[in-house]
Amino acid sequence: MNSILLLTRLFLKKTPLFLFFLTITFFTLMLGSSFFNLLTLTNISRQISIDTPIVIGQAIVLISGGIDISVGSVMAMSAAIVIGTQSLGIFLSIFLALAFGVFIGCINGLLVTKGKIVPFIATLGTMSVVRGLVLVYTDQKAIMGVLPSFEIIGGGTIGFIPIPFLIALIILMIFHGLLTKMKIGRNFFAVGGDLDNAFLAGVPIFRSRFLPYVISSTLASISGILLASRLNSANPQIGLDTALASIAAAIIGGASLLGGRGSIFGAFLGVATLGILSTGMNLLGITTYLQIGIKSLVFISVVIIDAVIVKRARSAIKKE
Amino acid sequence: MTINSENAFNKTKIGLFSPRSLKIIREQTALILLIFLIFVGSQVSDVFLTGQNLLNIIWAVSVLGIVSLGQCILIIACRFDMSVAYSLGLCGIVMVVFQNLGIPWTISVLIGICTGFFIGAINGIICVKTGANPFLVTLGTGTLIYAASLTITKSKTVYTPFEAFTEIGRGKLFGVVHYSVAIFILLAIVLEIMLRFTKFGRSLYVIGLNEKVGKLSGFSVNKIIFAAFLICGFTASIASLIVTSRNGSTVANVGLGLEFESIIAVVLGGTSLFGGSGGALRTVVGVLVLGVLNNLLILMNVQTEVQQIVKGSIFLLIVWLDTSLRSKS
Repeated sequence: MNSILLLTRLFLKKTPLFLFFLTITFFTLMLGSSFFNLLTLTNISRQISIDTPIVIGQAIVLISGGIDISVGSVMAMSAAIVIGTQSLGIFLSIFLALAFGVFIGCINGLLVTKGKIVPFIATLGTMSVVRGLVLVYTDQKAIMGVLPSFEIIGGGTIGFIPIPFLIALIILMIFHGLLTKMKIGRNFFAVGGDLDNAFLAGVPIFRSRFLPYVISSTLASISGILLASRLNSANPQIGLDTALASIAAAIIGGASLLGGRGSIFGAFLGVATLGILSTGMNLLGITTYLQIGIKSLVFISVVIIDAVIVKRARSAIKKE
Repeated sequence: MTINSENAFNKTKIGLFSPRSLKIIREQTALILLIFLIFVGSQVSDVFLTGQNLLNIIWAVSVLGIVSLGQCILIIACRFDMSVAYSLGLCGIVMVVFQNLGIPWTISVLIGICTGFFIGAINGIICVKTGANPFLVTLGTGTLIYAASLTITKSKTVYTPFEAFTEIGRGKLFGVVHYSVAIFILLAIVLEIMLRFTKFGRSLYVIGLNEKVGKLSGFSVNKIIFAAFLICGFTASIASLIVTSRNGSTVANVGLGLEFESIIAVVLGGTSLFGGSGGALRTVVGVLVLGVLNNLLILMNVQTEVQQIVKGSIFLLIVWLDTSLRSKS
């Protein structure tokens, strides 16, 4: 019994890593050197680096027991702001876009903590409001950037490593450190796992539930800025399915809707797995429709496997 | 005793916020808002309070309403269905595709409704058998259904060849009320009766409040949850029938955003997201609030983009009011 429990626990901890290597091995075997070469890998890293910040943010919110549906809209609005205010100078426009993200994050956090609204509903509301703002600001049209130098952030490379990927890696390191090494990060797990016990243990509840939303929204704006910079344009359709996609990636990366579980590296592996999957399927010549289907099948299987394993682990613990 | 009476005295002192009126306000936030909105409407525009306009409002929200009714049944049992938006696409596509194969439209409608049941059954089986989170499972099945619709239609619009088929969505019962409105109201009444007076309906509330208690009371929780998913699939297929026949054509993403909107409507109506409370008629009120708000904003010539901001803000305001009133009791 003990060994089974140990195995399931190991699998529970390492599912994202397992999935990540499975997809890489699969496509390498299928496609050989046309998949596993520097150019393809650089492209994949560029592609996933835009989604990485948003998924890390979503994972942190999920860990603290919440959910952030508004990330897609915040991403779109930040992209629109950073393009729309470019005439003010790159740094000021980036600052404004980030400030918007922080602002919406604060609103989400306050609605959830002080307003005591269910996270799902609160962020659903801000999602719709911010999407409205996006439509008003862009007048439902794509807007183009005027400064070509802005493209460096999303499109440039240092050596063969894309700059956005470096940014994503830095964010990954910072938040991995925050969640594993610092008290405030550990508190996110505490409030997500069991709010009452966290309160009794003296964890600062307000701070630990408020901050994840600010982090998530800010990271969503970083994603928006990266995307805008890569295309040097923004359109009101950005991020329509981002909320669901980011939740999917975070869940594949080991986070749970129940909170208290998940990791930043896991979230990154989740994004990477999905990114590799779509690039690999593109190279295999699979139609877009089928790709959507396969991705959702992967997602459903992860959810089911996760549920079954949790169930079995629980009953095993009970028997002990 | 003295403390109690003192408390009661303090509370009765302020008439509007006496415990009793507070309770009514708390329980009927949506209804009060609806009446307020209708009052505002009658002041703002002359055409608002005409019978034709009011019927138009219900007609415009009937599709959302029917989807919300199914969603409401699941939310009472503390579950969600995030796949409704895409079931709406697939059921309609199945109907139209079969019609184009030369099958009579009546049978194609039946096949479409069966598709809805089938989707509900799959969602139900996965959730019941694996104990996985319904929100995530239906999120996954939703995109899977979307992929299926895209593959069938190659992401193009498909058109119905039958003029008679479009009559369901466009025609009027006795020349007055649209069929879709009649179906919406009929479904609401049937579901309300089911929720209030049948064992199945009552057990949904018990399970929503506390699943363990439901199990201990002898309900076969799995079967009941499965049935709730079936109902949600069924309502989605009926909504799909209406939207498809109204347009005379359909696309894979015809229901885009409806999963969120239906949850918004259900919550606005006063059904708790934690399950165990609410009802079909409450959901109708929630849907009507959205409809009247929409109509008012159009009558007041508010920009479509601004409309969304206003709707979102009002939604947040209502939920916040609702939550704070609840916690005060």
